[in-house]
Formats: sequence, structure tokens, C-alpha cells
Amino acid sequence: MGDLLDWIISFLFLVTLLIIVIYQLTCLADLEFDRKNPFDSSARINRLILPEFGLQGLLCLYYVLTGHWFMAVFSLPHLFYNIRLYVKREHLADVTEIYNTNKWEQKKRVYKIAHIALSIFITSFWLIHSALGDI
Amino acid sequence: MGTENKGYPNFPARPAPSSSPFASAPPPGIPPQSGGPPTGSDAVGFRPFPPSASQPIRPFTPSGPPPAPTVGGMRPAQPSPFVSQIPGSRPPPPSSNSFPSTAYGPPPPPPGATPFQRFPSPPFPTTQNPPPQGPPQTLAGHFSPPMSLRPQQQPMGPPAQTMTSGLPGANTSPSPADFNMAARPGFQQSMPPVTQSYPGVGGLQPSFPGYPSKQVSQPPPMPFQGPPGPPPVSSYPPQIGGFAQRPNLAAQQNLHPSYAPPTSNVQGLVEDFNSLSLASIPGSMEPGLDHRAFPRPLDGDVEPNSFADMYPMNCHSRYLRLTTSAIPNSQSLASRWHLPLGAVVCPLAETPKGEEVPLIDFGSTGIIRCRRCRTYVNPYVTFTDSGRKWRCNICSMLNDVPGEYFSHLDANGRRMDMDQRPELTKGSVEIIAPTEYMVRPPMPPIYFFLIDVSISATKSGMLEVVAQTIKSCLDNLPGYPRTQIGFITYDSTLHFYNMKSSLSQPQMMIVTDLDDIFLPLPDDLLVNLSESRTVVEAFLDSLPMMFQDNVNVESAFGPALRAAFMVMNQLGGKLLIFQNSLPSLGAGRLKLRGDDPRVYGTDKEYALRVAEDPFYKQMAADCTKFQIGINVYAFSDKYTDIASLGTLAKYTGGQVYYYPGFQSSVHGDKLRHELARDLTRETAWEAVMRIRCGKGIRFSSYHGNFMLRSTDLIALPAVDCDKAYAMQLSLEETLLTTQTVYFQVALLYTASCGERRIRVHTSIAPVVADLGEMYRQADTGSIVSLYARLAIEKSLSAKLDDARNAIQQKIVKALKEYRNLHAVQHRLGSRLIYPETLKFLPLYGMAIIKSTPLQGGPADASLDERCAAGFTMMALPVKKLLKLLYPNLFRVDEWLLKPSADHDDLNNVLKRLPLAAESLDSRGLYIYDDGFRLVLWFGRMLSPDIAKNLLGADFAAELSRVTFQEQGNGMSKKLMSLVKKLRENDPSYHPMCFLVRQGEQPREGFLLLRNLIEDQMGGSSGYVDWILQIQRQIQQN
Repeated sequence: MGDLLDWIISFLFLVTLLIIVIYQLTCLADLEFDRKNPFDSSARINRLILPEFGLQGLLCLYYVLTGHWFMAVFSLPHLFYNIRLYVKREHLADVTEIYNTNKWEQKKRVYKIAHIALSIFITSFWLIHSALGDI
Repeated sequence: MGTENKGYPNFPARPAPSSSPFASAPPPGIPPQSGGPPTGSDAVGFRPFPPSASQPIRPFTPSGPPPAPTVGGMRPAQPSPFVSQIPGSRPPPPSSNSFPSTAYGPPPPPPGATPFQRFPSPPFPTTQNPPPQGPPQTLAGHFSPPMSLRPQQQPMGPPAQTMTSGLPGANTSPSPADFNMAARPGFQQSMPPVTQSYPGVGGLQPSFPGYPSKQVSQPPPMPFQGPPGPPPVSSYPPQIGGFAQRPNLAAQQNLHPSYAPPTSNVQGLVEDFNSLSLASIPGSMEPGLDHRAFPRPLDGDVEPNSFADMYPMNCHSRYLRLTTSAIPNSQSLASRWHLPLGAVVCPLAETPKGEEVPLIDFGSTGIIRCRRCRTYVNPYVTFTDSGRKWRCNICSMLNDVPGEYFSHLDANGRRMDMDQRPELTKGSVEIIAPTEYMVRPPMPPIYFFLIDVSISATKSGMLEVVAQTIKSCLDNLPGYPRTQIGFITYDSTLHFYNMKSSLSQPQMMIVTDLDDIFLPLPDDLLVNLSESRTVVEAFLDSLPMMFQDNVNVESAFGPALRAAFMVMNQLGGKLLIFQNSLPSLGAGRLKLRGDDPRVYGTDKEYALRVAEDPFYKQMAADCTKFQIGINVYAFSDKYTDIASLGTLAKYTGGQVYYYPGFQSSVHGDKLRHELARDLTRETAWEAVMRIRCGKGIRFSSYHGNFMLRSTDLIALPAVDCDKAYAMQLSLEETLLTTQTVYFQVALLYTASCGERRIRVHTSIAPVVADLGEMYRQADTGSIVSLYARLAIEKSLSAKLDDARNAIQQKIVKALKEYRNLHAVQHRLGSRLIYPETLKFLPLYGMAIIKSTPLQGGPADASLDERCAAGFTMMALPVKKLLKLLYPNLFRVDEWLLKPSADHDDLNNVLKRLPLAAESLDSRGLYIYDDGFRLVLWFGRMLSPDIAKNLLGADFAAELSRVTFQEQGNGMSKKLMSLVKKLRENDPSYHPMCFLVRQGEQPREGFLLLRNLIEDQMGGSSGYVDWILQIQRQIQQN
């Protein structure tokens, strides 16, 4: 039962993370198509970046604490990348250059989404597996 | 021989603008005003300013919808509308117009296979007919050279001949210049009689499906045939019609170009070979080669004016310069053009007297714009349906002509009122914008001063010079009587000044809380100048005295900036910052960095050149949002982190002025002139700029000092004539189906008089399918300008070395491609070949690499100098940039000795010399002028008479201690008038005069020798080595 709970919680983590990143991506896409001004867009994105990083870190920690080593290792690259961005102080969208960096910012997020989606897939597999196994 | 410039007559340099030389005001005789200061720090009593509450201003939004992606297939070119524009007065054009369609139009595949021998058939005669008398000669003259090409072509095999008359209209002589080149000796030998008729064909379209003789794989075949619909031919007439419109040009001049519609021609390649082999440096690769024969831009910037001739209705090149006036028709072709594809725009460039941009008021009609793509009406639109409709030249949309704007068309389909409508005849117009173009009432000109008054400011005399200068400019600030003005001074505290008109003395309020700033009396900090004039003057008079004894060394720059932002964000305006030391208190405080040379050469090197604290970028973004433009004046002799401070100017469309180690006795004049210019030049407020272009291409990146407000909208809180912006374009479609593309720059701004205006510059460029043609139409000036900006940008994210290599690689790639273009037909051997138009490119490339922002390592220029020069170069218009890159050097002693030379045209007397040490003769006196400083170099063996006459009694002293001033003799007066004239040539900066004697190290090296860029200096290579390097890299693999 505990295992199932672990999976459900990590599943929720992942979905939240996914939503946050997708939201950032839509902001960037809006910007590209001139539907928003750069000031608002970057403010919205930047507001969500630290929560996103925090959440991702927590998730990793959670995996470790609950002993899901594989998932922990699997999400390490993401964590490492986030930390690197943060250390280099490149984590926030730069409002003055946002149009020049937009392409790269979007690409970054697409990869993140792919990674999270894969995690969700694995998680839901184990979720179902453990749910069925419990019966 | 390849380097002469026949085809490109010199453009007259920009005449000295009329701005009156600034006369410094006498020092204020007013004693220290005790009235101002004392009202101590009771600021607490004032109501705190609620920062967030007071931001009613919406950021200015772009006028009109963004250019909708233009719909509509390929803007079928319609012959008839174009025809309609032809001025009735001139008979020829119509006939020429009609011929293409009749003769060749219909056959959708190029009537292709007509061998050359057949040209004499209809098209050519017709083409030549139109110009009745004079033109034929000119035509013949221009065209004859191409004939010579012919033979060359034959060897290439018969298919060449298939090139034909598909587009007879395309009598597209690329430009007279090309022909001139072609006509050079060496080339003639091959010329058979064949081609009387050839010329007609000469220009023919590029579009031959597989024209085998081209070495270079011709880009997608048949670009022009592509479109279904109207036969391609038909779109030529527009140009024809277009040119013909130009009212007062002598027929000869006019007609010839008018028959040279824009396309490239197959011939192009052939000509290229020839012009090429002539234009190259023959056998230059042996050591000991004659470097004197290397091309040097000693005539200054030479603009490709063939283009201007071809399209007389284009805006002047001072406003818009394309890197090549031939736009590639396919992505594959564009990718082989390794040079940048783009434009440099200087929307408010100063105009010589008599060429002012006409001001138009559409009144109740409203501004005529295309419904779909929002293009402004311009000379290239066509009227149809007896004048009831007009067709947009950019998106081909058919728009209704408003009733009030209706005019009948004459027999040629040209509007009867054409002559009264500058917007239909001129490439540059200024339109008065109605209220739909405002999101708020037009703002008054606002000048806000943020002045550092810490100890170094008073010590160096900066404060006094600034106060005097501002005071003397009060009368000339634009926008009287609406102009507003305000001041904040700061050291470790902020000082606000209440200048309400009812006061007799300004009231000073001191705020010490730097973390939570509030504005005392927010309404009286920014006052109307005409109402509060006496208070402002009293303030400026007392300002230097007030802080005379200030010993504060701190600088609360960040909080002061925030306070200024809070004062200004209601209206926007221009914020001038005078900073004397490194910001040390409050938000945005900066650290000493950059004094560690070990950082250079590592991956972290670039970080020194970007803002350290995100505070600066954020403030810059906020300021842009609220229409605040920032100019930074920095004075410290120590590290001030210009990289961070300059960020404020960069993203708000401003400028950085840097006076390292400011001393009022030395730099006072320079500061006075430049500050006065900054305050009094015509300024456009709360501006946005957008450049539109035809379907299929798109501007993809922008380079300069500004911030983008949306993907293609440049936000410019305050813009003036000294700012230029560069942009690169990319092809969105694999194949362009049109024959021409149009560019339209629109700058929407508030003039100082309070009128909202739109300045529109329209330009046309041909689409070509031939790489050779692109090279022939290239413009070195704007390419170099773009390269310099790209390199500086690169230095903000990479090592200097990488930025320099990138430039070198780009040049190598471009020249290599050019070589490949010709390598097969010609034995190029070890020659370096380049097109005539790009002969200076390698030299300027080297100049970029040796320019202050990019040169050498940590020892060559201080970090601050580097960054300041970088910010400056990012904004410089093309001509000024070229002058900075390859400065003028000329010898004056002989001219000074000539007795009667007073009235000689200086430009004739003073011949520019190559920038190499061997140009310097120790018996001479030389002036070096890069637009930012003048260096007078006294040769060691210069006759003592001259030195004595010029320098007075202390002529033998060390020159660093001699002040340069007029002596009471003719020679000195003459030299001073020369210096004055040089300064007036370009009033945007005030070059300081430095005197140096040969052998006076290290000053000589620092002031002059290091700037002789053709010489080898330290680790960088000289001109000869550089060329050899490039050549070696081109020949690798």
C-alpha cells in the first residue's frame, strides 16, 4: 500500500511540474506570435521558475527517501541541469533579450517536457502495477 | 586596376549640419546659494510615493495591428496598374511597358531556347526604342561591355545561348558600375561584334532553367517562371513605370536606369569573371608583394549609387542601406551568400539643407494604408480601376481609395495629382498621425538629470561643466514651451529638488533611506521649464557650489535610478545620468571586477562584459516600458563597470559617453559639446519602429541599442539622428516568386513640438537568382556595420578571440564562395579574388578585429573603454562607423606652408593616407581623425618654424603638457580653422585634440601608432599578413 501511495504522490508531483513547464512554454509561444508583450510574459515565466526548480528538487528527494533508486537516478540529469542554470544565474528569462533567446528557451522546455512525460509514463506504469498487485 | 571606383561616384559627404556650435556659458557669477540646501532632511513629512499605484500609463502599443502574414499567393504582378503610373509627359515608357507582355509575356516557359543570334527579334528593338534620343547612347555605352562577355560564354557551350528573352523587359543591366568594370581593358580583347543586340538580352532574367554554363550550380531553376498566373514578364513594368515617374530628371539620366529593372542576369556571371579577374589583386601572394596596391578606402565610404540611380524613388541611402541590393530568390542561394543579408537603418538621419523629408497631413482622410499588411502608401503602389482602387506593393492587396483621396488617372494610368503628392513620388515622407496612433496625449520633451555629486565629481570639475552646459542649453532644448525638466543628485543619500515655479529658490530635500525610496513632493520634482525657468537657473548656478566641499565618496546609484524612474514613469522622457564612481550603495551596487587579467582567455571572460547585476537589465526593461530613454555619462578614471551601467543605455535606445579620468581643463570642451548636442538635437520621443518587407522574407534579428517590444517592433523611448539600427533578414519561403521586394521602415514618434508623426522610408530591391549579381550589388559599408555589431554581440557571450575568429571565418567563407564561383573558368592561381564592391571588406574586417571593443587582450584596452566603445559602435551610423574603423590620416605641413591656400577646398588639399607607419614622414605634420579624437603628430624633423608658429613659445616642451590653442599668426589660424572644420563635419561627437611628437613614448604608441591598423602591432597581424592569412584559409581544401 505504501508503495502505491509513493507512486501516487510522485505522479501528482510530476503532473504539477508538467503543467508548470507547459504553461511557461505557452507563454513563450505567445510571445513568439506577438500575442503578449515581453514584460508580462517574462514576469509570468519568472514567477514560476523557482517553484518549478523547487518542486523538481523535492521530487528527487522524495524518490531518494522512499527508496526508488531508479526514478531518483532517472530524474538526476534534470535536477543537475536546473542546478547548473541556477548557479550560472541563467535560470530566469531575460526580458531584454527574450526575443533572441526565445527559440532556445522553448527548446529547453520541450526537452524538459519530454523528460517529465517519460517519468510520468514510468510512474503510471508502476502506479498501476502496484495498484493491481495490491488487489 | 581592379580597385578604382569609376562606377561609384562618391556620394557627397553629409554636409555639416547646421547645429550651432555650442558656446559655453560663462561661469555663473552667483555666489553659493545658501537658500537651496538647508531645508534638511525633513522629507519624512512628505507623503510617500506609492510606487505601484501610480502607473497609469499603458506601455505604448504598436500602432495598428502587426503586419498580418500576408496572404495571397504570389502577388501576381499586373502590368496594367504599373503602366498606369507612367507619367504622361514622357512618351517612351509606355511603349516599353507594353512590349514585354505582348512580346514575351504569354509563354509561361521561357521562350527559352532562342539562341542569341535571334535577339534582334522583337524584344530588343523595342527595348531600345523607348528612350528616344539621348538614351540610346547611354544604353549603348553601358551595354557594350557585356558584349565582350559573350565570347567567354561561348566556350562554355551552346546551352548558354538558350538563355533568352524570357523576360525581355529585363533589360536588367545590373548597374552601370558593372558595365564599367566589364569595360575595363583586358576584357575587351575578347569582344566580338556579335552583340549589338546582345545588350537587350544582356539583362535577361536569371531564370534559365538550368543554364549549363554556370559553374555555380544555379539555384532552383526558373524562379520567375514559378508563378502561374500572369507571366513573369509582366511584373517588370512596375519598375519601369516607377522610374518613369520621377519627375524632374533629365530624360537621359532617367531613362537609362529605368530600363534596368532589378533582376540579375545570366550575363552576370560572365561579367563577373571578367570584372573579377580584373578586380582582384594580381599575383599578390608572393612575399614582397606590392602592398601599396592593396585596396584602401581612402575616399571614405563609397556607396553603391548605381542602385540609387536605378530606383530614384527609393529613400536615400542615409536612411536605409541594404547589405546587398539584390535579394536572393531562394533559400539555397541565400545560404551560399555567406555575408550577412540585411539592412542598416538610420531613420532620422540628418538631411542636408533642401532635402528635408516632406511633411504630409492626410487630414480627415486618414492615413492611407493597406488594409491587410498595414503598409503605408508609397511611390510603388499602383492605382487601378480608374483611380478608385490601389494595389499594395508589398502584399498585392487591392484597397479602396478613400473618397477624399480620389484622383483621376491620366491616359497612362498615372494619378493626375501625382506632383502634389510627395508620398507618391518620394521614398521618404513624414506623415502627421491622427489620434488613432496615440495611446495617450503626445508627451512633452522631458529631460531629467541624475547627477553624482560625490567628491570625485566636484574634484574633476565635472559638476561645474555639466551645470554650465545645461544652463546654456536651456534656451535650445527642443519643444518650448512644453519642455519639462528635473534633477536628482546623489552621493550616499538622494537629494531631490523642488522647483515649483512659485518658489524663488529651489528647495532641496534629502532622503537617506535607500532601501525603501519614496518621493517627497512627487509633483514638483519634474517641472515645466518655461514656468520654472528662474528656479532652474538658480539651481544650476548654485549646484557646483553646493557640493564644493562634499567629501562623500559613496554612490547610491541604484536607489537614485529608482527614484528617477518613479518621477518619470508618468510620462517618460530622457534620463541623463552623470556617474563618477562605481555604484556602491543600495540596490545595483557593483563590485570591482575586471582588474584580474587572468580571467581573460577563460570561458568566464565574457561575463566581464555583461551586466553583473540583473538589476540593470530589469531597470532598463522597465524604463523602456515607460518610455524613458537613458544616456549614461561616465567620468571615472577607475573602474566604473560601464558594462553594467551601459546596459541601461543599450536597452533604452540611449548612448554611453565615457570620459576616462575626466578633468574639466582637458575634457571640458568635449563634454560641453557632446552634452549640448545631446540636449539640443532634434529628438523623437516615445517612438516605435518597424520594418516591413515583402512576402517570403522576414527580418529575423535586430542589432543595436534598443529593446524589442514584440518580434519585429523596436521600442525607442528617445531616438535621434545619431542612432542607427541593423537587422538581418531571412527567407521564409524556399523560393521567392516575385521580381522585387519592398522594404518599408516606419518610425512612429512624438516630435518635440507635440505632434505625433510617422516617418516612412520605402525602398525597393530586385530579387535575383544569381550569386554573382548579389556580389555585384553588395554594399561594403552596411556589411561591415552589421559585422561589427555581430562581433560585439558575440564578445558578450564568448571570448574576444572567438569573436575575432568568427569575423575572419565569415570573410573567408564569403570570399571562398566567390572564388568557387569563378574558379572553374579561370585560372585563379594564387590570386585572391573578390568582387569590386567588396574590395575593402578584408581591410574593414581587420579593422573590426583591431577596434577597441575587440582588440587584443587585457592590456590593450581597459575593460571600461572596451565596453563603452562597444556600446557606441552598436549605435553608430554606417559612415561614422567606417570612419572610426579606418580613420583619416593626412599630412598638413605642406598645406600650411602654402601661402594662398586659405580658400582651397580642404578636401582637395588633404589627401588621405594609408594607415601605416610608413605614411608618416618625420619631416611632416599629420592629423589623424577618427571622428572621436584628433591626433596631431609632429615629426621629429618638422621644421621648428612650423612648430613654433603652431605651439607658441613652448614648442620644444613635451607636448603632453602643451595646450593647443590659437597663436596670433596665419599658420596657426589656418590649422585651427582646419580643426574646426573637421569637427564640424560631424557634430555628433566632439573630437578632442591631442598633440604628440614623434618618439614620445608611450603617448605616441597609445595615441597614434596603435591605431595605424595596417601595421603589425603586438600579436595582431598587419594588412599584408592578414590578406595572406585569408588567402591561405580560402585555399585550404
